[in-house]
Amino acid sequence: MSDYQPVLLARLGKKSSCALETYVADGGYASWKKVLAGAKSGEWTPAKVTDLVKASGLRGRGGAGFPTGMKWTFVPPKEKRGDKPVYLLCNADESEPGTFKDRLLIETDPHQILEGMMLASFALEVKHAYVYIRGEMVHGAEILNAAVAEAYAAGLLGRDLLGSGVDLDVTIHRGAGAYICGEETALIESIEGKRGHPRIKPPFPAVSGAWNAPTVVNNVETLCCVKHILDRGPDWFKAIGRNDRNTGPKLYCVSGHVEKPGVYEAPMGILFKDLLAMCGGVKGGRKLKAVIPGGASAPMLTADEILEVPMDFDGVAAAKSMLGSAAVVVMDETTDMPKAVTNISKFFAHESCGQCTPCREGTPWLNKMLKRIVNGEGRQADVDLLLQVAGQMGNGMTICVFADAAIAPVLSAVPKFRAEFEAYVARSKKPGFDEPAPSDITPKVAERMAEGMHS
Amino acid sequence: MAKVTVDGRTVEVPDGSNALEACRAAGVDVPHFCYHPRLSVVGQCRMCMVEVEGMPKIQASCTVPIRDGMVIHASSEKALAARNATMEFLLINHPLDCPICDQAGECKLQDNAFAAGLPVSRTSEPRRQFPGYDRTDIGPHVVADMTRCIQCTRCIRFCQEIAGTGELTFIERGGHTIVWTHEGRALDNEWSACAADVCPVGALTVKEFRFRKRVWWLEKASSVCDGCDVGCNVSIEHRDRVVHRYLPRVNPEVNDFWICDYGRFRAEGLNGQDFLRPVLRGASGERETNWGEALDSVKGAVDAALAEAGEGSVLALGSARLSTEESWLLARLFGETLKGRAELTVDDGELRRIRNPKARGSFEGFLKGREAAPNSRGAEAAGLVRAGKDSALEKLLAGGPAPRVLYVADAAFTYRVKDPEYVAALRRAPVLVVHARTRNALTDVADVVLPVASLAGKEGTFVNVQGRVQRFDVAIVPPPVVRTDLEVLLHLGRRWGAFDTRWTARDIFERMRGSVDGYAGLEWDAESIVGAPPSVSPAAAYDSLLAEPLSLPELVLPAAPAGGGAK
Ligand SMILES: Cc1cc2nc3c(=O)[nH]c(=O)nc-3n(C[C@H](O)[C@H](O)[C@H](O)COP(=O)(O)O)c2cc1C
Ligand code: SF4
Ligand code: SF4
Ligand code: SF4
Ligand code: FES
Repeated sequence: MSDYQPVLLARLGKKSSCALETYVADGGYASWKKVLAGAKSGEWTPAKVTDLVKASGLRGRGGAGFPTGMKWTFVPPKEKRGDKPVYLLCNADESEPGTFKDRLLIETDPHQILEGMMLASFALEVKHAYVYIRGEMVHGAEILNAAVAEAYAAGLLGRDLLGSGVDLDVTIHRGAGAYICGEETALIESIEGKRGHPRIKPPFPAVSGAWNAPTVVNNVETLCCVKHILDRGPDWFKAIGRNDRNTGPKLYCVSGHVEKPGVYEAPMGILFKDLLAMCGGVKGGRKLKAVIPGGASAPMLTADEILEVPMDFDGVAAAKSMLGSAAVVVMDETTDMPKAVTNISKFFAHESCGQCTPCREGTPWLNKMLKRIVNGEGRQADVDLLLQVAGQMGNGMTICVFADAAIAPVLSAVPKFRAEFEAYVARSKKPGFDEPAPSDITPKVAERMAEGMHS
Repeated sequence: MAKVTVDGRTVEVPDGSNALEACRAAGVDVPHFCYHPRLSVVGQCRMCMVEVEGMPKIQASCTVPIRDGMVIHASSEKALAARNATMEFLLINHPLDCPICDQAGECKLQDNAFAAGLPVSRTSEPRRQFPGYDRTDIGPHVVADMTRCIQCTRCIRFCQEIAGTGELTFIERGGHTIVWTHEGRALDNEWSACAADVCPVGALTVKEFRFRKRVWWLEKASSVCDGCDVGCNVSIEHRDRVVHRYLPRVNPEVNDFWICDYGRFRAEGLNGQDFLRPVLRGASGERETNWGEALDSVKGAVDAALAEAGEGSVLALGSARLSTEESWLLARLFGETLKGRAELTVDDGELRRIRNPKARGSFEGFLKGREAAPNSRGAEAAGLVRAGKDSALEKLLAGGPAPRVLYVADAAFTYRVKDPEYVAALRRAPVLVVHARTRNALTDVADVVLPVASLAGKEGTFVNVQGRVQRFDVAIVPPPVVRTDLEVLLHLGRRWGAFDTRWTARDIFERMRGSVDGYAGLEWDAESIVGAPPSVSPAAAYDSLLAEPLSLPELVLPAAPAGGGAK
């Protein structure tokens, strides 16, 4: 791995890396200029760009790992969409706990993102693209705004770019600090000026998104990859990955009990143990206990489960978790699992948008129970109740998958570290609080309750 | 149309329906909260969960557009377990308020808990409170208590999509989410109490009705609002001869699911009854009497007038508040039998309107009233002559010749009776007879006051602004000596051999059919004039309707007012 040359972070640490001048000096905007130059002649067409992205095997870096090129083809063709514009929204809401890669890209290399957006806009025939940036990233928004201004001044944004007949505007839109606004349909509602409430699907954004027009939402890192695919070709991109389904460079946000936490770029599919080694290993040489491989939403894996796992979409999925935003949270043997899960549950209870009953009510319920357990007031029945309550919140019970994310830590950590939860309950200082739930209920209901929902 | 199979039964439903509507069409009532046939579909409450073949995850049926051939399992174990789950989540924070909650008895949360809930609670956590957001007036008629809110957003959508005013919004987020008015605004649109109607629980209640009666004691009768000529179908809800409230009765062709606040709060007025016995006034002063003497004295005065001044010396004034049947009797008796004149005058009122883009005659999405009384069309068709130039009424008011007897069949026929000059002009008639329920300037000077019942004590028909004949029924029996206008006219008419006192409103309706415009071929019991029966609860009103296509596109406003969620 040591000979791997960073792609996305190649310009990290360079002087004035945010400036257009240095970006161009490093070969930036070559692809955009090339595409614009060939637009009139038909040498470069939207379909050609899309095909390159498809061929690269690029999958979205926002969390779900959806193939980017395929997503783009869901936008109805001109004959079908009529006069409606197409919108590209760059998702820079980055709020998944443990995730800080998009921020680094924004703050160190904004033109890389803009060029990716330009090329994607060309492929999608977008005339107006937006960056939806997390409210707290004040500095990032300033940097992006400055970069956009530079791009306009250089004729890379605006009307009839470089005489190509192509028009493109980019607007930076600041959110107000809600995690849920990273969910693409909530992001769309928010950018329309409404509350960040995820929408019911169908219709999917590609058909009817922002202002009821076809809309594509892509993550910051995804769009950066697009630029490099256009720079160096899909074959080069593909060659970086582990296999055809897991391609390209990848940013990993490593935090927790490691010697050197931070953002690491590595080829998609690096083994967890190699990634850990890049970070200097577990802090203080202690023993690894568990890892959250893809942000708070991803099920926890034990040390045994994760060490040999290739850190890509399919690799982590095979281990029954998910790569998500590649936020790798490392926990050593000193970690108190019930407390860690309680902490995560607080985040989800705080961030639920509140429209769906199971999520609005279930996330605080889980949090209250967990708090009670770690405060020494748990009941024996609580450990199973945690699983039962979590078990009836996901899998279609809600509008968006936030609820599925919220239950993942509980559903993974409680069975895997059950003894720790039971130990808390055993020491409970609330005597008389340990009766199980009443059992004198009709057998059928008891059965249903015992099974939980998704047995 | 599309064929859909629900729990083994195949039904045809209109294209554009959703799975919830298809289930209902198949006779399977899937519990739900946020779905409402006139509001946009949001799929938020997650109560209506069903299994759909070909979709791996459990689905909120209201959000699933039907496809031809779709197979739905609405009662599978998995579907029931999902609904158990949602019910449990809804109840963990709901206050144990039912004993003091006005919604109890007509609460969808109670109903659905009964249908889909578990008999035990697994929570032991403290319940959520919203200090400062409980038992608070959020408008002139609506009281909000957010501890009871289930965040279904029906009220918010009502204000945005039906009222078009958007006073309400969510504030806060997650488990702290509540519904409130936008900063500095009140829930004060023309139909504000309908927001409480659509609220499935006791989070929004109607101030005027709070704590008046447990709803299971209420009896219900179909009626028609007499506030204007839209003629909204209402249910008069009463107990022990007291009217407690109006609720809308669903009529997709007239008022749909709604009534305006002005009309709704006329209900209370139905309880007023100043006159309990006939009153005679003479030189020796005022005294109460019995019906025999009162009606005989009217007959005496009329006969004397006819003998002394001949035809045309008697003028009867009808009212657009009388039923067509009553107007018909008045026109027959005074216009024909007594060879006098029977006229009618109608106030223009403030325009009332009801959102119903599909109604015949609706304009800009609203069915609009033109007059402040319900039945000028029926009254005219029955033979009352609208007072205009050269009418006996105009002449009387202008100081011209006065009739010897003026018979006013509704002492409150115009707001102008508040004007002393107007009353003085009417009083120029040597004999003044009035039908009255409540005291006003005209009853104070009348020679004979005949006590009559309110709308709640009568039956008959009105013809609304669309020309639609609508029947209203008796809700309460009037006090012992008080009679309906119809009975008074029958008994008076009998004194000249004109009518049979055994006639009911229905008999008259059937007699009128041959001659009165708009009544030909109508049946007293026909659904078209009776409308829908009163529903069990305001929030459940639509349960009486079968599946209809999703939301009406015209009803969806382009965008919610910005600024929601600021707090
Ligand atoms: C609760 C929730 C939060 C999300 N937050 C983010 C986010 O902060 N940034 C992001 O890029 N994607 C986020 N996503 C994923 C987006 O919905 C969407 O899938 C993604 O932006 C698509 O981009 P991609 O195809 O490039 O991955 C979130 C999804 C969910 C359900
Ligand atoms: S699952 Fe939670 S976050 Fe997602 S829409 Fe429902 S309430 Fe909102
Ligand atoms: S106040 Fe009533 S109608 Fe409004 S959201 Fe709450 S429960 Fe629903
Ligand atoms: S619109 Fe007219 S008929 Fe309808 S409730 Fe209001 S006043 Fe009554
Ligand atoms: S009725 Fe379907 S989700 Fe509320």
